[in-house]
Amino acid sequence: MRPSVDAMERHIQLTGALLIIGLLVEAACLLWARPITFVIFVVVGGFFLLAGVTVFLFSLVSAPHVRD
Amino acid sequence: MPHATTLIIILVLFSASLIGVLVARPSITATRIGKILAFLVLFLLPILCAAMGVSSEMDRSKTTAFCLSCHTMEAYGKSLHIDDPGHLPAAHFQNHRVPAGEACYTCHADYAMFGTLKVKLHGLRHVYVYYFATPPAPQNIKLYQPFNNRECLHCHLGARSFEEGAVHTADPATLPAVKSNTLSCMSSGCHEVVHDIAHLKDAKFWKGPE
Repeated sequence: MRPSVDAMERHIQLTGALLIIGLLVEAACLLWARPITFVIFVVVGGFFLLAGVTVFLFSLVSAPHVRD
Repeated sequence: MPHATTLIIILVLFSASLIGVLVARPSITATRIGKILAFLVLFLLPILCAAMGVSSEMDRSKTTAFCLSCHTMEAYGKSLHIDDPGHLPAAHFQNHRVPAGEACYTCHADYAMFGTLKVKLHGLRHVYVYYFATPPAPQNIKLYQPFNNRECLHCHLGARSFEEGAVHTADPATLPAVKSNTLSCMSSGCHEVVHDIAHLKDAKFWKGPE
């Protein structure tokens, strides 16, 4: 039981790290209205947010089924 | 900075701090409430932040200041202040025939389906050329396609000054040709003077608000 919980927690930490990076990039880009920040927002911020959400969804479907 | 953007930044930072709590204490998610919190914080909030951010960025990318923030576009921005009513973009900008804050986008948007997406993809290409290739000299910048009358007719179609204008109605064939885009609004002898940046140094400028 414990290893699967650890794996889930690792996935959550990885998800969180990716999302925090993506959100910080997004916040930084919102501070400046320049064409380059628009590109960074879409490409870099979008990549980290998409990766974070994907890892989170993957962690849900890959979690072992536990009977009560 | 607009208030909406400030609120989005606050929401983004708030979301990042909540995610930080989950990263520091992932064991929270072992409980039912923790799982609901994780779903909200790791899935819904980031998607909400991204959607609001994209909306904000798209709005900002339509502004005149955004377009003119590239050095290459400076001459085009200056041409909006030429003191000559025959100069088409300047007359539109100075008389607020287009929103002054979104002057470039209003005329250069593609008013067909997916037009906004198309112009934004062109914009991404412009950024690529600006930073990673050699941007053309301002006077060598050309439109991808000849200017389509559809963009003018988006506002002018049905307007009395357009439909009943003396020059437009002098020849009965003119208006149908303009409406079908077979005769360009910018044809020689019509509204042909657009961003005449080659002669900027000889131009007289309007001292209006920036």
